[in-house]
Amino acid sequence: MEIQSRKLLNISFTSVGVMAILLMAISLVVLLFPIFMKGMGAFVFRETVENRELMLQRFGRGNREEVMADVRETEAARKPVYELMERFEEEMSKADSEFRRKYRSEYGDIKEMIGELLGPGPGDREGALIRKRYGKVRMDRALAKLDQILKVETYDYSDTSSMGKKVLKPRREIFSGTTLEPVFTILEKDINKMMKPGLKFYWRFLFDKSQDAHFFGGIWPEVLGTLYLSIGAMIFAIPFGIVAAIYLAEYAGEGRLTRLIRVSISSLAGVPSIVFGLFGLAFFINTMNISNSKSVMAGSLTLALLVLPIIIRASEEAIKSVPRGYREAAMSLGGGKWHTIISVVLPAALPGILTSIIVSLGRAAGETAPIIFTAAVSVGKPLAIWQTLSQPTPALPWSVYNLATEHEAVNEIRHVQYGMVLTLVVLVLLLNLTAIIIRKRVSKKLRR
Amino acid sequence: MIRWIRIFSSILLLTSALSLGTSDSAYAGKADKIVIDGSTTVGPIAKAFAEYYMSNNKDVNITVSESGSGNGAKSLLNKMCNIATMSRFMKDGEFSAAVKNGIMPVAHVVAVDGIAMIVHPSNPIKELSVEKVREIYKGKYTNWKQLGGPDVKIVMISRDTNSGTYETFEKLVMNKERIEENAEYVGSNGAVRQRVQSTPAAIGYVGLGFVDRTVKALTIEGVYPDSRSIASGVYPIARPLYMFTDRYPRLGTHLHAFITLYLTPRGQEIIEEIGFIPVTQYKYNK
Amino acid sequence: MNGYKVGKNYREKISSPNISGKNLLMSDEKRWFRRIGSLTGKSILAVIASVSLLALFFIFFFIIRDALPFFRLEGVKNFFTSTAWYPSRENPEFGALAIFVGSALVTLGAVVVSVPLGILAALCLSDILPFTSRQYVKPVIEMLAAIPSVVYGFFALIVFAPYLQEKGGAALSMGTWIVLTPLALVLSVILGDILSSRAGKAEKKLRRVIFAMIIAVISIWGIYSLSDFFSGIKVVSGTNVFNVSIILGIMALPLIVSVSEDALSAVGRDMREGSYALGATRAETLLKVIVPAARSGIFAAIILGVMRALGETMVVWMASGNAASIPEPWFNLMEPVRTLTATIAGDMGEADQVTGSSRYYVLFAMAMCLLIFAFISNMVSEHFAKKARGMSK
Repeated sequence: MEIQSRKLLNISFTSVGVMAILLMAISLVVLLFPIFMKGMGAFVFRETVENRELMLQRFGRGNREEVMADVRETEAARKPVYELMERFEEEMSKADSEFRRKYRSEYGDIKEMIGELLGPGPGDREGALIRKRYGKVRMDRALAKLDQILKVETYDYSDTSSMGKKVLKPRREIFSGTTLEPVFTILEKDINKMMKPGLKFYWRFLFDKSQDAHFFGGIWPEVLGTLYLSIGAMIFAIPFGIVAAIYLAEYAGEGRLTRLIRVSISSLAGVPSIVFGLFGLAFFINTMNISNSKSVMAGSLTLALLVLPIIIRASEEAIKSVPRGYREAAMSLGGGKWHTIISVVLPAALPGILTSIIVSLGRAAGETAPIIFTAAVSVGKPLAIWQTLSQPTPALPWSVYNLATEHEAVNEIRHVQYGMVLTLVVLVLLLNLTAIIIRKRVSKKLRR
Repeated sequence: MIRWIRIFSSILLLTSALSLGTSDSAYAGKADKIVIDGSTTVGPIAKAFAEYYMSNNKDVNITVSESGSGNGAKSLLNKMCNIATMSRFMKDGEFSAAVKNGIMPVAHVVAVDGIAMIVHPSNPIKELSVEKVREIYKGKYTNWKQLGGPDVKIVMISRDTNSGTYETFEKLVMNKERIEENAEYVGSNGAVRQRVQSTPAAIGYVGLGFVDRTVKALTIEGVYPDSRSIASGVYPIARPLYMFTDRYPRLGTHLHAFITLYLTPRGQEIIEEIGFIPVTQYKYNK
Repeated sequence: MNGYKVGKNYREKISSPNISGKNLLMSDEKRWFRRIGSLTGKSILAVIASVSLLALFFIFFFIIRDALPFFRLEGVKNFFTSTAWYPSRENPEFGALAIFVGSALVTLGAVVVSVPLGILAALCLSDILPFTSRQYVKPVIEMLAAIPSVVYGFFALIVFAPYLQEKGGAALSMGTWIVLTPLALVLSVILGDILSSRAGKAEKKLRRVIFAMIIAVISIWGIYSLSDFFSGIKVVSGTNVFNVSIILGIMALPLIVSVSEDALSAVGRDMREGSYALGATRAETLLKVIVPAARSGIFAAIILGVMRALGETMVVWMASGNAASIPEPWFNLMEPVRTLTATIAGDMGEADQVTGSSRYYVLFAMAMCLLIFAFISNMVSEHFAKKARGMSK
């Protein structure tokens, strides 16, 4: 090899290596960017008058007079629309059957969509579901709905060699010459007057109960359920984990039992999470009868097993890294072994143990597979502490899956899904950040 | 440090003592919790009912899981839930196992649902016969061209084999024939719709409540699936939706009030608004 | 830390020297008691420490207990060799070959994505980047590791799958450019060097440049035609092997990077310095000395990465398409597949354990296969890790 080519190869190798790191960082950004951007939409968005009305009626928030004034104002702006619709219905009833057949389904579509946009009009019966009682509460959804009303999506199937092409044409053309025609202009022109959009910072998204299967309201039951599950897992895992770590670091020889324990810890770390879920169902619920249905308790126990290896390993590292001098000093002052460990070694190892606990807290909060069969449901109340022993709970990770795939109106509540994902990610990343900061401080201390 | 450890271990002891001491039973007449498990099709009804009922009765916690009809049956006969929502009737095996377990399943037909075949709106196909649908899912037709459409490979979307919707489809459409292996299986009605609305070449089937403007429901045997055609019994792929309880709930319990919600005017409105057909409107003219 | 507190009674002992004439030597009886006490204490600790052992034993026991009836009822052969997966029909068939293949494909894809990237990144972290910038890379890795799997699944299903369906071809062709261009340039340098090695001194330089140019042009043309072919591909469904492989690869990265970086750091400075002293460039040192020396540790990292990808549930359940069929041809990455974990999560629904149907047991049979595979992989990776530790000493 020539020296120049070797140099060239060296440079290219370096750049490829740096590119690998960059790719990793880029993938993190690509992953988090849409989640952050769209997730913020659950907290900060342009609300419409419908939202103010909903907040007042369902949660008793906002100033009644102001909201009512807004409602009256928007009702005045909406009046022409309803009047035109009434006139058109009259026209239909007077016209011949030809006319009626031509417009019946088209008009039905429009009436339905205007109902979805503005909520029930005068004289409509109030729906049973909350989602039928209000119009669009978010301006972005309202504008999308308006777009659907103004433009009719048709498909041009003339080219038989490929799928139809989407053609958007103004819906007004369908109704040209009828009394309904001006409605479209009014809707387009006055949408802001009808909706009175305003910026809303909805921090209560975290603390409100869901209304009507997450159509409105917040995600408190899920957040609370996640907290219960992860903290419950810690309550079971911490004592066992730390004691095991003490045993392995301070007492265990190189016996057969120790080897077995070490092998089982590393194997436990490698067991797929779904297998933990099956085991939790078969063991905690069906065999031990901890609860007779899914429950937070069973889920916590399952998660505790999952994070046990993490805690044991990290705590053992932390205990082993405590300098020998500490132990010897304590012993020479007449402390017994156990006493030395409790009063000297553990406090010195505490930061390391703490970081491991924090990291596994995040891990327990984000795991889905183990709680599918043991704890998670899609609808439930926020639980009180004593109910966690016997009752299942909604939880963030499971609800993300459930709302993204099983909900009857997936697209309508996309912002809620993103909001949940954002909440989960922020929770986990904050925990990790705490761990990183603790570690930094400790390493500074050690360097001194 | 020692003090903390003491406090911690006492908390632990307390919790474990509590957990062993309280073995509450959903069947001990304590009606502060109703656990519902089962079908994803009946899920929306159960969820809406649960929220409606909880808003009127503050002392009840109703939880709803949507894990599949089979799972609902399983939970019921393991005494893990009070109500199993199912989009098919219990199988003989499930029923006899339940009886063996000391459970007497009682069926409540809460609503009627039609299974709509849906395609992407850009698909020129408007109408198919049950037979054609069967041939598609058998793998005999693999391209839309063979059905008069463009030259595009058909993507079949099917519900997962654990769903009642799948079993109904298998019974009413497939006629016990096998679904071709390369069909995509998804876990819920919502997921089927999502796959179809994002895939121009796809065909799938969902419960009527899941049909919206983003997909195109096909006319089957000349009948378009809507509430009228299903209620009158003309649409060929329709089925009742069930809720199963253990024995008939005692009068005056929350469970009884909940399970009879579908007979109240409010309950029927909810069912209609979600997109199913209340049983009171259904005419059995077959 | 205020951790130098010593218990009250001890402080008394120390602060009041032995005036009372108490015998400092313990009586035999006392010593015996003390020993008994410490023994019981130690055994209690040992019992608590064995919880993980017990847990593992119970997991194996419960999974295998419910898996064995399946093999008794249905036999072994069909399960591993047939692709007919019809668990819900009246005479059900449980041919899980397609599902095994699906799991294998997805895992393989994840390995192809994550192993080269991971090892390069680890090399970069351990030897190339200056210490200060390393401080900023570590949190990135930790964040990638910390993000819950359901979030990855959500991203794969809601963001990535539609993108693939709309712009799949374009994205693929861009990917080929990004991946293959550096490789092609390196190749052209090496080949140019080899081809011109026999020439005389004067001509050498000129020849090398010309050869390298020619090879570079050829390989660029090759990449161009390949990317052209890719951009013509129509992605029928966005939930497929490719999608899941990329996402799982990214998920397995942190593990591979951190474990192999440990292995690389364990090799020690003297190896590196020796290699530099002999006149090797950094690239040569890393590739010919350090990586071979850290071989076992890197193997352990790769195995751990494989296990991470294989055991993942939510991502594959949400975004693999769940079709129980083997793609045609098998390396067609744009086809949906179904994996073991997703089958367990999705099919638990119909399985009724009370009647003891094979449908329930088959899921446990799958879980058993996963478990045993995970266990064996773990043993192998432990073995390699041990070897690595032995070597570094």
